[in-house]
Amino acid sequence: MREYAFFLGCIAPNRYPGAESASYKTAEKLGIKLLDLEGGSCCPAPGAFGSIDLNVWYAMAARNLVLAEQMKKDIALICNGCYKSIWEVNHKLKHNKELRDGVNEVLKGIDMEFKGTIDVWHLAELFYDPEIVGVQKIRDSVKVPLTGTRIAVHYGCHLMKPRKERHFGTTEHPVWMEEMVAALGAEPVEYRNKMLCCGAGGGVRGYDLVHSLDITNEKLINLKEAKVDALTEVCPFCQLQFDRGQIEIQEKFGVSYNLPVLHYCELLGLAQGMTPQELALDLHGISCEPFLAKVL
Amino acid sequence: MARTKGYPEALEKKLADTRLYEDERHPEFTKTVEKISMTIPHMCFQCGTCTASCPSAPRSSYRIRKFVRRSLLGLEDEALTDPDLWLCTTCYSCTDRCPRDIAPTDVIMAMRNLAFKRDIIPVNFLKTVQAIYTTGHGVPNNDVNRAARKKLGMHPDPPTTHRHPQYIKGIQYILDYFELKKNADRIVKEREG
Repeated sequence: MREYAFFLGCIAPNRYPGAESASYKTAEKLGIKLLDLEGGSCCPAPGAFGSIDLNVWYAMAARNLVLAEQMKKDIALICNGCYKSIWEVNHKLKHNKELRDGVNEVLKGIDMEFKGTIDVWHLAELFYDPEIVGVQKIRDSVKVPLTGTRIAVHYGCHLMKPRKERHFGTTEHPVWMEEMVAALGAEPVEYRNKMLCCGAGGGVRGYDLVHSLDITNEKLINLKEAKVDALTEVCPFCQLQFDRGQIEIQEKFGVSYNLPVLHYCELLGLAQGMTPQELALDLHGISCEPFLAKVL
Repeated sequence: MARTKGYPEALEKKLADTRLYEDERHPEFTKTVEKISMTIPHMCFQCGTCTASCPSAPRSSYRIRKFVRRSLLGLEDEALTDPDLWLCTTCYSCTDRCPRDIAPTDVIMAMRNLAFKRDIIPVNFLKTVQAIYTTGHGVPNNDVNRAARKKLGMHPDPPTTHRHPQYIKGIQYILDYFELKKNADRIVKEREG
């Protein structure tokens, strides 16, 4: 069993606890144990903090990284926003001495030092990596195949972009998550402008909600055209934007889509036999019932 | 869905005048943006691939190419006072497609940092700072969620600063080190009374 310090972030534990719960359980079935990262905080939000003062963003993310360094464990996480902060700051501090010295000067005040001894992973990339888990093992773990459902993938932005700093290859038309969806027995569905942002990032959701929802709405129009039963993603912030966002779109634009939105861990949990109650799917803004009716 | 944002009249007028005035150029602005962003806006040849890739462009007057040009020309005031500066969702599509290997997204982030130094910042950004200062989380737990977590057999509070509030002190130290909480409180009070 491989062990990782599980960096929770904010939205999964505080808005979609089913996604958190599913992460522990699904990962354990695939040979990954997620350990509590005691005292972790907001990553902090790359859009909000990065926009105000990048130096604060570096230092705050470094504090979270040091907690995992003290556990001597790599970090696993389930949110693209957290990935941007935690992965990228780790990467930058490891390779830029001037930045690292600046951050350590701050951390000295709380008896911490960034050493650069650990790596950071998104749980989805660990699931996909054949040396860690791999698609075959995911397929083998399925008890309730999602046969007959059409599922689209929203990759989100901050996991794979900027491409040149990351290690995921193309960001124009990736298909690795579609492979992971197919492994659950569902039919992965392509749709127009798949890589378009959800609209929430960069503080735009808070700054201009209608503008941000208009981007979400464009994605929902394209998803509707593709006649999908559900949308899956690997970022609770995107999840919030698509799920609660559909309610806001109904209020502000008068259109409804009723498209269930599930984190990949929730989807995997369902396929591995977890019940909708165990995944707290009733907390979702948009009912997952029509999708569940096809599966269960 | 083009919408006007009701810009201040002076800015509206300024944006309508596309002539370049030598006395509005600040060469040090170009340098500062390059230093903070760690990218190379001076390499830009204005092809517009960034604007074409931008999810915010079709629904607003926000043009990322224009901001890159402003950084290159040193048009500090024009860049930092334009409310469109805050419409970048930081999706990095422009960065992935830029044929000159510039990261326009990071140019925007650097400009936002410089704007904040002049107290130009939307209040929602500062409220996130205040929430983190008090709880450690930008999106804190609530009673509905605590009940749901219990039903799932989980601890009502995640093992973060929520369950271990003794760690909040360290976060407050970092935010105070940069005087961020003090400035956030001051600006929010000025705006909202």
